[in-house]
Amino acid sequence: MNKQEKQKRKKLAITLTIIFLLALFLGPGPGLYLINPNPADPNARFTFLGMPIIYAWALLWLLVESVVVVIAYLKLWDSHKKGRINPN
Amino acid sequence: MLPILAKTDGSNMGNLPIIMMGVYLLMLAGVGVYGYIKSKSTEEDYYLAGRKQGFLITSLTIIAAFFSSAALLGNPGAVYKDGVAFMLFALNLPVGGATVYIFGNRIWLAGHAKGYVTPGDMISEYYDNSVMVRILVAVLGFLYVLPYVVIQIRAGGHLAQQIFSSTPYFTILGLKFEIFDVGATVLSIIMMIYIIVGGMRSVALADVFQGIILLAGMLIAGVVAIIAFGGVTKYFNAISTLPPEALSLPGASGRYTPWLLMTLCIFGSLASIIQPAQWMRFYAAKSLQTLRRSALTFSLILPPCFLFGVMLVTLGARVLYPPTTTVDPVTHTITVIAHPVVGSHDQALIALLKNQGVAVMGTLGPFIVMLIMLAVVAASMSTADANLHALSAVLTRDLYDRFIHPKAGEKERTWIGRGIIVLGTLLSLWLVYVGQRNKDFAPLKMIVEMQFVAMAFSCQVLPAAVDVLFVHRGTRAGAVCGMVSGLLVVMMFTPMSKVLLGQGLGISVANTSLYLKQLLDIGFCGLVANVPVFVAVSLFTKKPDQKKVAELKRIMTGEND
Repeated sequence: MNKQEKQKRKKLAITLTIIFLLALFLGPGPGLYLINPNPADPNARFTFLGMPIIYAWALLWLLVESVVVVIAYLKLWDSHKKGRINPN
Repeated sequence: MLPILAKTDGSNMGNLPIIMMGVYLLMLAGVGVYGYIKSKSTEEDYYLAGRKQGFLITSLTIIAAFFSSAALLGNPGAVYKDGVAFMLFALNLPVGGATVYIFGNRIWLAGHAKGYVTPGDMISEYYDNSVMVRILVAVLGFLYVLPYVVIQIRAGGHLAQQIFSSTPYFTILGLKFEIFDVGATVLSIIMMIYIIVGGMRSVALADVFQGIILLAGMLIAGVVAIIAFGGVTKYFNAISTLPPEALSLPGASGRYTPWLLMTLCIFGSLASIIQPAQWMRFYAAKSLQTLRRSALTFSLILPPCFLFGVMLVTLGARVLYPPTTTVDPVTHTITVIAHPVVGSHDQALIALLKNQGVAVMGTLGPFIVMLIMLAVVAASMSTADANLHALSAVLTRDLYDRFIHPKAGEKERTWIGRGIIVLGTLLSLWLVYVGQRNKDFAPLKMIVEMQFVAMAFSCQVLPAAVDVLFVHRGTRAGAVCGMVSGLLVVMMFTPMSKVLLGQGLGISVANTSLYLKQLLDIGFCGLVANVPVFVAVSLFTKKPDQKKVAELKRIMTGEND
């Protein structure tokens, strides 16, 4: 792998890591304060597209995490190609 | 006379439970025989199936070991109790999946090059074959594994009570045996036998079947719940009628704050992946490609099992069987009490399926409900067998082999391992029996409370593992001090704090830890002490042999010829 490809890989790895960590911060973390309805507020919105808004939020960030994993699987997780210690 | 041919319970399941349970137990016995036939009498074969496990076995055994009874009872029960807030916990699963590859890849490379069998083999060798490191990694592994085995056996007993609910006891030769005891004992003994005779081959093959049952059960349960409500739209319309506290954070009991959920998702997941049983599964994989595919499978298949499966069931159960919420006027503590039909929160899944599932699924109803109950048994047994097997490896390799009889040959060590499995099973059963008869039995009460604490203990190996695999700047003294610090902090979240610190200081610490537990994952709290101590001590103490470090780095990055 030449230097340019290594740099590209490193950039992709860093980008995916940041997105994944952001998904964890926003999804089950403090990002919830952006959408969490106030139970005491009679005008609060508890649903989104018919689903509980918290459930929809979980689905959104699960999708983000899954996409990150799939991209990592396709583009980064390739030790099996370069690994030389392999009984097969 | 054993009422084998009688109807077994009021949900009109006839003899189906005993037939399906019989088939399940025969399957487990069969894998024991298969494992025995295929096994070789070497330690590597007994503990790691010769390091040749392919993708199907590796992925399902990792999944089955990860998903315990908590996946089908405890976690969905938390959704029943608190509402949608706990559904966010499903976001921990891609963390686990990514870790399978990111950590597993390097663990596999090192394991194949150096012949490692346990986590202690790798971590202690890195730190100049440190005895203390090995002991601490083994102790932290033990503190994770034993409570988990006990909790799973207990869940098996409770499931037997549910499945054979109209049979409170069996009479054999004039002696009365409660169904809970019979269920826990039969499942444990069969599990013990197939682990003893077939080692990792039997455990992993059993996990394949159990993994398929539990994944299918989780998803089918979700489908049943949707059908019971009359379809997706009607289901969500019903959910929208839940009270506001069940549709928002921090949930009905006030427990699930965003910081707690986030730290649980990250550190709970990491702890469950770096525990001994999973570490050994990484070593046992046939190739890096196997781990790569297993990581993807884990990340993509498990979250739907929660979010489109079991969690939908118990959210629906909350609509049909709403719990009661009380607030203490003095302390303002919120208590959520399960509906009488449900009984306790972690039975919410079973309650809905038994009361609604049989009716809505027509003639297939009893079969599907029984399948889902078997899924719970499978989840419990697959985690118990993996942990018991790992316990055997850890105690044999890391303690017996190093300190009691270092000259022991492979055959002796394998038999010692088998002995540990017998003792571990009997000890766990004893704890379950006594705890069932005495709800205040301190060790079991402590163990049940310690399920999250068990994960927290495992989490304290994380800094050393990260250093060995990626960072390479820590020292032996740093690793020891870090793990001890983390272990002591986690201990403060158990009743041991009062034992260690006395009543006065112990009570203050207990109150503080109770407060912290509501804010953050316990494992994370341990790491807050562990990591700074590890780093600080490492700055001033002797580094490990740098030639060995360089060699391991080359192996793990796949550049060693």
